[in-house]
Amino acid sequence: MKVPAAFRSTKGIAGVIVVVAVLAVAVFAPLLIPADWATRMDMRARLSPPTWAHPLGTDQLGRDLMFRVLLGAQTSIFIASAAVLMSIVIGLPLGLVSGYVGRTTDNVLMRLVDTLLSFPALLLALTISAILGPNLQNTIIAIGIAFTPFLARIIRGEALRVAQMPYVEAARTAGNSDLRLITLHILPNIMPAVIVQSTISLAFAILAEAGLSFLGLGTQPPDASWGLMIQASRDYLDRAPWTALVPGTAVAVTVLGLNMFGDALRDALDPRARGAA
Amino acid sequence: MKRREFLKTTSALMSGTILYGLSGPARAQSEPVRGGTLIWGHSETTQNLDMHQTGTASTGRVLQNVHDSIVTVDKDLNVIPNLAESFEQSEDGLTYTFRLRPGVMFHNGKTMTSADVKYSFDRCRDPDTGAVNFEVFNAVESIETPDDLTLIVKLNSVNAPFLSRLAENGAGVVMPEGSGEEQGNAPVGCGPFRFVRREFGNEVELERFDDYWGGPAYLDRVIAREITEPTVRLTGLRTGELHMINDIPADRIAEIEGDSDLQVVSWFPLNWDFVNFNHDFEPFKDPKVREAFDYMIDKEVLLEGALWGQGATTASPSYPTSASYNSDLGQRPQDIEKAKALLAEAGYGPNELSVVFKVTTNYPYHVESAQIMLEWFRMAGVDASIEQLTWSDWLSQVWVDKDFQISMMNFFTLWEPDFLYYSLWNTEGAFNYRKISHPKVDELTAKARVTVDPAERAAIYKEVQQVIHDDTLDVILWFRNGTIGAQPTVQGLDSIVHPNGSNLRFHKVWLAET
Amino acid sequence: MSYILNRVFSMMLTLFLISAITFAVTNILPGDVAMMIMGTQSNPEALAGLRETLGLNDPLLVQYGRWVGGMLTGDWGSSLVFKEPIAPLLLQKMTASGLLVLFSMAIALTCAIPLGVWAAVHANRWQDTAASSTAMLGVSLPDFFWGIMLILLFARGLGWLPSSGFVDPGDDLGAAVRHALLPSLALGLGLMAHLTRMTRATMTGILKQEFIRVARAKGLNESTVVWRYGLANAVGPVMTVAGLQVGYLFGSIIVIESLFNYTGMGWLTYQALLNRDIPLIQASVFVIAAVVMLANLIVDLLYAVVDPRIRLS
Repeated sequence: MKVPAAFRSTKGIAGVIVVVAVLAVAVFAPLLIPADWATRMDMRARLSPPTWAHPLGTDQLGRDLMFRVLLGAQTSIFIASAAVLMSIVIGLPLGLVSGYVGRTTDNVLMRLVDTLLSFPALLLALTISAILGPNLQNTIIAIGIAFTPFLARIIRGEALRVAQMPYVEAARTAGNSDLRLITLHILPNIMPAVIVQSTISLAFAILAEAGLSFLGLGTQPPDASWGLMIQASRDYLDRAPWTALVPGTAVAVTVLGLNMFGDALRDALDPRARGAA
Repeated sequence: MKRREFLKTTSALMSGTILYGLSGPARAQSEPVRGGTLIWGHSETTQNLDMHQTGTASTGRVLQNVHDSIVTVDKDLNVIPNLAESFEQSEDGLTYTFRLRPGVMFHNGKTMTSADVKYSFDRCRDPDTGAVNFEVFNAVESIETPDDLTLIVKLNSVNAPFLSRLAENGAGVVMPEGSGEEQGNAPVGCGPFRFVRREFGNEVELERFDDYWGGPAYLDRVIAREITEPTVRLTGLRTGELHMINDIPADRIAEIEGDSDLQVVSWFPLNWDFVNFNHDFEPFKDPKVREAFDYMIDKEVLLEGALWGQGATTASPSYPTSASYNSDLGQRPQDIEKAKALLAEAGYGPNELSVVFKVTTNYPYHVESAQIMLEWFRMAGVDASIEQLTWSDWLSQVWVDKDFQISMMNFFTLWEPDFLYYSLWNTEGAFNYRKISHPKVDELTAKARVTVDPAERAAIYKEVQQVIHDDTLDVILWFRNGTIGAQPTVQGLDSIVHPNGSNLRFHKVWLAET
Repeated sequence: MSYILNRVFSMMLTLFLISAITFAVTNILPGDVAMMIMGTQSNPEALAGLRETLGLNDPLLVQYGRWVGGMLTGDWGSSLVFKEPIAPLLLQKMTASGLLVLFSMAIALTCAIPLGVWAAVHANRWQDTAASSTAMLGVSLPDFFWGIMLILLFARGLGWLPSSGFVDPGDDLGAAVRHALLPSLALGLGLMAHLTRMTRATMTGILKQEFIRVARAKGLNESTVVWRYGLANAVGPVMTVAGLQVGYLFGSIIVIESLFNYTGMGWLTYQALLNRDIPLIQASVFVIAAVVMLANLIVDLLYAVVDPRIRLS
């Protein structure tokens, strides 16, 4: 297994720690903290700086930012993961078939993917959100669809590369069926690339959710999501910077962790990099 | 002068809009000077520019400077002459004769005659125009123009509020004959400023109309830049890119008032807000459910939470200083237990009722309000969620299609009670997007129209308010304060707020040399 | 030559697909043109009549044909909210946004290339960590966050630059540049971060290659090796990525232009979407996609000129 190689670098280890910690918060915070603690308001402590009662301060409605950011992790991570999962579910078969079958199928599918790539992802997500209406599920669909072409493109490239490998050729001449070839030989070999791309996509999905929320089309208040928290803080940035810094730090740390993890994975898995080392 | 003292003196002087006063640099007003371009950071986007068709406060606020109405109101909201230099009403209350002011020029160079007034009124009456104030002219039988400066309007039944409704541009505006087609894109009127251009969603440019009948304005130009982002608007004022902004973010007012480089104009009221139920949505057909929701809302806390206390709670939407304001009405206090009990009586146990709150991002404080109310709804065992809508989506879903369950809106101060109560609560009312059909309200609002005696009319409207409150047709929340922040060079600000509290007038505003 | 012809042909095909997708997607938007025109005064009969006159009852394929036909013959229709012919409107807004895209690209590349090379040269040492962390911070926060920060710092705090608005370069070039600077910076920060990462990754790969070792073995001085030989080979891939980022930029301008009231393409598209101005949505989405595609094509062609091996595959 090549993946553990990623953990050998400091960057990789740091990345893994961050990602695991964020996942833990996303999973366990909702189990340990009552959901309404994120929306409970205290009108006497609005835009309060960090205090003992509110260690990370409060927002414009006196809601505790620590609880909001902890409980918001679930929403943000859930939206981002679900969207990326969706883009993998659509993009993986698309890319595999295109890269493996080649010829006309490849031409047609990739022409379509290239066309979709011409639409900026945020514009696509925005239009889809406008069509479907704003809510959590539609935010996932919008980001998921918008990210699919990227994934399909990368998977196709990988599938094409792997399909030309000598051992795949050998397996083919040995009389293995196409399905067997794809599932047993190609899929396992492109998974590392898919994982790398997924971690990077996850980071982008978290930012995309924030962008949609900024335009009012993402997560709906009063539920907490990091994007929505940053969006709500924009009128108070100069007098209560913590309202933006708390969710901003959460987003930055998570995206940073995902990117470091992704980079380390890529460094460990990139055949060129390995070959030369 | 301290604000409180100022309030005391001014409210004694005028019973209409209360100007809280001007705070900021205590510089003496300079002599008015002519010239200069005033750049105004407008808080909202203007919509359809046709004064007859537009219903949005943002558009009316700007067009106030382009148009003039046949009559207008003074600070006490008494109807006074304007484009008509005099008017009289026959004994039986069925005939109105207007003597028009001679020599009033339109922006297109033509002189106003009775034909233009007739054209404007006919256009407003014509159902094909789609005028918001269409029903003002319902009782009109004929409009005659015996000579160029006389207009006689005959009604077939008494319509007590007729004259005062003509004091707002929506119904009383005079447009040059035949200009209807262009009004939507390039409004033409006889106001102190001529419309130059608009880039939708960005800016509107007005220039001084030198032949204005009331004397030319001081400013050469007014550019209204539509900056909906509050932080950006405020930054623009502080950096000097903007001369003035309206609607200072509520939580910043104290801070700006304390800023010695800026002046603040604040007044009461700017507009009022209420929570709406769709009376066609099954649960809200039951008055008990509506009353339960009223009991869930703590209005004082909501005002503090959404507007940082910049306003005053009220159970009546009547203009606070008007005769028809029912001061006996009190808002229901928050009582979650009572709300739960009422819901149970109506057949909804805990978590059995779920509602979607549609709220527009056009008014960020509505989004805040909805979030606060949602907490209370959930405490009362209602499963509630918010759907944020853009302004155009809100207009099309809630206003036109009436596809909503619960929502929130604000209205400019409809100081004329017929405009207020008939439009909003009569089954036939132009602003009745909640599908309200209440026989008693219908009867009373119709009766008020044919009641000439002011005291009697006021009594009827007080009864309407009682019914609205008793049956919780909507939940009336508060009147909101109006604010303007300006550079010290902007002068004549004491005249900028129209008596209706909602519109801004630049006729007597000037830019002092720095 | 045949490579170029081939690319041009496939470009036509992509354009056609873009138009089809744009048309299909915008047709499922809630609300329709008739509703938008009538606004608050709509009644069912009038709506039905208007739909008929506008041809909204025709089969979708017929409507699509009419739309494409109009675009080809230069009749792009009129915007419902701007009440202006669409084609000149788009041209004007595209110019405004072009300025932003160019500026942010320039800002991003000027910072990203040296930073990325520096990080690659010192791979896995503190310099690398510093450069990569800076880059990552840029890419870790939404660009509107940077936008607000820039407004507070440069407009509010220092008073150097205007906080919002757009000035036509034809009217006042200096003012136009000043107004474009902050939004470009906001856009450029995220882009810079991205390009720094790409430059570092590409350079790391190149520095491990045989010819670099040979160059070093020949005793060439290190900076010549890195900048002459290394960077020369990295420029191609980095430019390709930069070209691909034009798409990312056209997504980001929607948020950034709205924040800065910079009335360009992103602002226009957002206004069109907000107000359900379907003809304008269709045209602007199509134009954005077409421009992004063209940018990618140009990058491809340039790359082919630089690196002849491409033409063979």
